[in-house]
Amino acid sequence: MSEDFRARARAWLEANASRRASADEEAEAETRGQDAVIAEQKAFQARLYDAGFAGITWPKEYGGQGLTSAEQIAWSQESRDYDLPTGVFFIGLSMPGNTILEVGSEEQKTRFLPKMLRGDEIWCQLFSEPGAGSDVASLQTSAVRDGDEWVLNGQKVWTSGAQYSDYGAILARTDPTKPKHEGISMFIVDMHAPGVTVRPLKVATGHSPFNEVFFDNVRLPADAIIGEENEGWAAAVVMLRHERIAIGTMGSSRTSPLAFDSLRDMAAGLGRAGDQGVRRELAELYARGRAMQLFALLLRQETLAGKMPGARGSIAKLAGSELARFAGNVAADVLGDQLAGFDSDELYAVTTSIVAAPGSSIAGGTAEIQRNIIGERVLGLAKDPGVDRATPFNQLRVGTQRQN
Amino acid sequence: MALILTDDEQALAESVRKFVADRSPLTSLRQLMASGQPYDADVWKQLSAQLGLAGLTIAEEHGGAGAGVSALSVALTELGAGLVASPLLGCVLAAEALARLDDETARGELLPQIAAGELIATLALTSGFGGHVTASGSGAGVTLTGTVSPVLSGAEAGLLLVPAEGADGTAIYLVDGAAAGLTRTRLTSVDHSRSLARVSFSGTPARRLAGDAATALAAAQDLGNLAIASESAGAMRACIEMTSAYARIRVAFGQPIGAFQAVKHRLADMDKAWELGCAALRDAARAGDEEPGRFPVAASVARVLLAGAYAEAAVDTVHLHGGIGFTWEHDAHLYYKNGLSNKVLLGAPGEQLDRLADALGI
Repeated sequence: MSEDFRARARAWLEANASRRASADEEAEAETRGQDAVIAEQKAFQARLYDAGFAGITWPKEYGGQGLTSAEQIAWSQESRDYDLPTGVFFIGLSMPGNTILEVGSEEQKTRFLPKMLRGDEIWCQLFSEPGAGSDVASLQTSAVRDGDEWVLNGQKVWTSGAQYSDYGAILARTDPTKPKHEGISMFIVDMHAPGVTVRPLKVATGHSPFNEVFFDNVRLPADAIIGEENEGWAAAVVMLRHERIAIGTMGSSRTSPLAFDSLRDMAAGLGRAGDQGVRRELAELYARGRAMQLFALLLRQETLAGKMPGARGSIAKLAGSELARFAGNVAADVLGDQLAGFDSDELYAVTTSIVAAPGSSIAGGTAEIQRNIIGERVLGLAKDPGVDRATPFNQLRVGTQRQN
Repeated sequence: MALILTDDEQALAESVRKFVADRSPLTSLRQLMASGQPYDADVWKQLSAQLGLAGLTIAEEHGGAGAGVSALSVALTELGAGLVASPLLGCVLAAEALARLDDETARGELLPQIAAGELIATLALTSGFGGHVTASGSGAGVTLTGTVSPVLSGAEAGLLLVPAEGADGTAIYLVDGAAAGLTRTRLTSVDHSRSLARVSFSGTPARRLAGDAATALAAAQDLGNLAIASESAGAMRACIEMTSAYARIRVAFGQPIGAFQAVKHRLADMDKAWELGCAALRDAARAGDEEPGRFPVAASVARVLLAGAYAEAAVDTVHLHGGIGFTWEHDAHLYYKNGLSNKVLLGAPGEQLDRLADALGI
């Protein structure tokens, strides 16, 4: 890698990005209005693209820079302390984007990837359903052929960013007579098409960071399939792998209310820093947080050296969700009964983070699914028996549907 | 900072791993357990002199390899994986203290002997309640009185470095293994691969080493943390390999037991804790060579994570093997006991966290 790239990145960030603490995008959307936030992020992403810092490792013919992991790592390092207003593009680029790059058609790559990179079009991912979470292959959304087109019907849930997305990558059942993994296809769906309804989904924190999305006779063109018909599960595995790696190596902000620095300062402020129990818990929180950062760094360095993280991305994902819970316990000991009732924004932020913590061991594959992946693909243990693997989907009992 | 191993480090790891497999398999430890010998003299000779592990962290001018902390960590990881009984850890800590003190005569005389594996040395470093030694007299007439326990290889060492309190504070003193008034009692060591002793001094002649004892002891403690974290990383890897291998072949209820989530998930948690600990270990080892200012915190983080995780993994290794894992014949208990010992030597978890909290300025 040329040091020139790093210097260029540093100079560009200094001139174009701010070092302020990472903003809570949702809170920002509430106060400033979502349209304003999206407009700002689109403008920023376009500047990033024009300056040559978007899609660093993606091929040039699809709008990328055609550079190596070395430049990607240099960029990550240089940009770490900046608040880049690019959050609405994170899912699209890391999941559907990388998947289209791996298994999409030439036309799809040419048509969609450059606009995705430049921030002209925002993408979301539509996998989970009310009846298909950990067992996502039991999904019931269907796509039925009608002439040259497909007709899509069903419901998706936990869709981040659906309310402002232009396109989505969706899994739908295209052959219910085959076993569940063999009758699924992945499609590109236009989120502005007639029949698509997006409703916010309010979660335990009281916020609505996700959506439910309904598809009512939505028509998809024949070339909307990513990969091959009835081979959507293979494409899904590719996307899920990118998801785990993206989540696991995202890193956490030092300014998060449950980060070591924040809790240490709060302990000092409350005069709790002399308490041996609190001191030990804070020290352990530091150690565990530091190990997470270092493991993410190790995976990036191994990638650079040509060793792909593969299923070890699940380790980072699993450890991150456990760290969030542990930090919540430390916060409870640091803050004591002040956590039960308060009138400060600071404590509101802490409790909201604690209330949000269980979400991290569910979203993007539960902790149990991650442990299955580590056990089976890292340690080589026998697969879960999967008693439904060979049964045609239309003979299976799935989700919470009633048995007749 | 590059966390992945260099080619040289890979080569070192492989040669030590091969040495352990060829020369010191677990059956050798069983023989030592039966004979009561603390270590195999031939193995120590080859390990210290031929492989050069005793001198890895000793400067070249003093007969060592000057290879640094990261190389030491790599070697100890492999020795730890095989539970190799040897006086290496005591030697490493004694050499570190000597190197950090300001006594060029002692350095020039002793470090080459330690590096060559000819002199077994140790540092009587224990936690606050491990005993107390006082120094009296001056010059050639200095003597030590008191007891310290447990001391690594304390019964075998030809040379002991002993922190003792004199009229003007704590200093480190040299005591010859053959000195008058020195009583060494081998302890029943919970870990069969680690020889420990109670060492008592009764007007024992000693030589005061020049230099700041606090700095030298802190440096030795940091290096000790890295060493125990390294050994634990290797041993934990062995536990995960052993238990995964068994979970693949042992069948119950019509399936390999690894197919059951109760088994699979526990192993996945072991692997997760090991990977995270290893990342912290690599960081600490590199910091030791490249960013010494960060070393105390980094080594402490690695120690806190790995010693704790290994102790847990070793218990789970016994448990996941079921009844066979609890027999004397099975190797699981050797790791379980090693894990228990590693958890507390040179500072139990609570003391480690207190020390880390101090270093972090909490």
